[in-house]
Amino acid sequence: MSWGKSSLTRLAPRSSNQFVAEAAAPRRFYAVASGATRFQVFNRRAKWLQKERAASNLEESRIADYLKDEAAIRLTERLLDIRRHFPRALDLGANSCNVAKALVRENPDPDPDVTESPPLSTRIGELIATDSSEARLYRDADQEFNDKISLTRQVVDDEETIPFEPESFDLVLSSLSLHWINDLPGVLSQINSILKPDCPFIGAMLGGDTLYELRTSLQLAEQERRGGMSPHVSPLADVRDVGGLLQKAGFKMLTVDVDDIIVDYPDTFALMQDLQAMGESNAILNREMGPIQRDVLLANDAIYRSLHGNPDGSIPATFRIIYMIGWREGEDQPQPLARGSGQTNLKDILEKKE
Amino acid sequence: MNPQTTRRPIQKVSTAVAQCAVEATAYGKCIVADYNDVTKDKCAREFLRLKDCYLVRYYPVFFTL
Repeated sequence: MSWGKSSLTRLAPRSSNQFVAEAAAPRRFYAVASGATRFQVFNRRAKWLQKERAASNLEESRIADYLKDEAAIRLTERLLDIRRHFPRALDLGANSCNVAKALVRENPDPDPDVTESPPLSTRIGELIATDSSEARLYRDADQEFNDKISLTRQVVDDEETIPFEPESFDLVLSSLSLHWINDLPGVLSQINSILKPDCPFIGAMLGGDTLYELRTSLQLAEQERRGGMSPHVSPLADVRDVGGLLQKAGFKMLTVDVDDIIVDYPDTFALMQDLQAMGESNAILNREMGPIQRDVLLANDAIYRSLHGNPDGSIPATFRIIYMIGWREGEDQPQPLARGSGQTNLKDILEKKE
Repeated sequence: MNPQTTRRPIQKVSTAVAQCAVEATAYGKCIVADYNDVTKDKCAREFLRLKDCYLVRYYPVFFTL
């Protein structure tokens, strides 16, 4: 009970001046965080638990990997454009090492003229995969693809602090995990600092209109059944935001593009079950605890079907994936020309073509 | 734990709901008719019909005795 005692003595007024000074003391901040305030949106611990639980059901979690595998394949295809060897690469937020799985694929080049291309893993010396969830990271550790790539798994306590030396990686990849980060600007600038000069970061995250069908129908269902709503689908970064964020983090030569993957499900229950098996359940901090009321689920299924349903009775779910490429600043890097230094009028060229 | 034999509660819900397509469409239509102005119990009548249908399918044993 030392806490009770000491707080009692602290509160006992000896002289009025002293009382004010000591009572104010616990409120003083000794270290002030630099930069902007960190907003807490997601409950990281809840997310970690969801991932661990999802990965512990091997069968369901492997079946629900379709989205992550597809995103990883599309992400790694972007490496084909960079003709380089990467001695040391990092996969940040690796999930179940979907990126490594995509890297060892035979003939990764989708160009029909190139009939045979070596797996991308031949261009990567060593891949380090980090994730906060151990069960998820080691889920596929006994699979075949592990032998074809030099892969090191590393469990990190907190994905928002990257535990690596500055300027130690030739490539940083991240596939479908950045959308659960609270402090996205902070993590991006950490990524920038662990990259060697003139080395790329290639990331994919869910953003924008992802699951907008579920978002709208759940809102309507809760509004009608309960007279109010609570957040069920995460707030996500938009394409516009991502460009700005990368620039703010110090990346150069940015490329940002979007890709919609639309998946059809038999009903909303199958959709939600799959989201759970992916470990992508709701983890917003101020969400309502406990499961969604059954009345709301019932109403949601009917509304989803009427509002968005396909003619054949299935329901579509949109996953909007934002791909981003940013380069760490380096010497001899191509620089954009100064604004207004263009000699040719673009309008003339475009009009001539027609 | 064979996935074919273990059924999660949500799968039972899903099967029950699938048998109430007519009621679900009626409720959905009522909401979608003016989804910018949805208030509590706006479509209560349609919802109760849907729920009645669902409950009969979800707990068949209570309704056949």
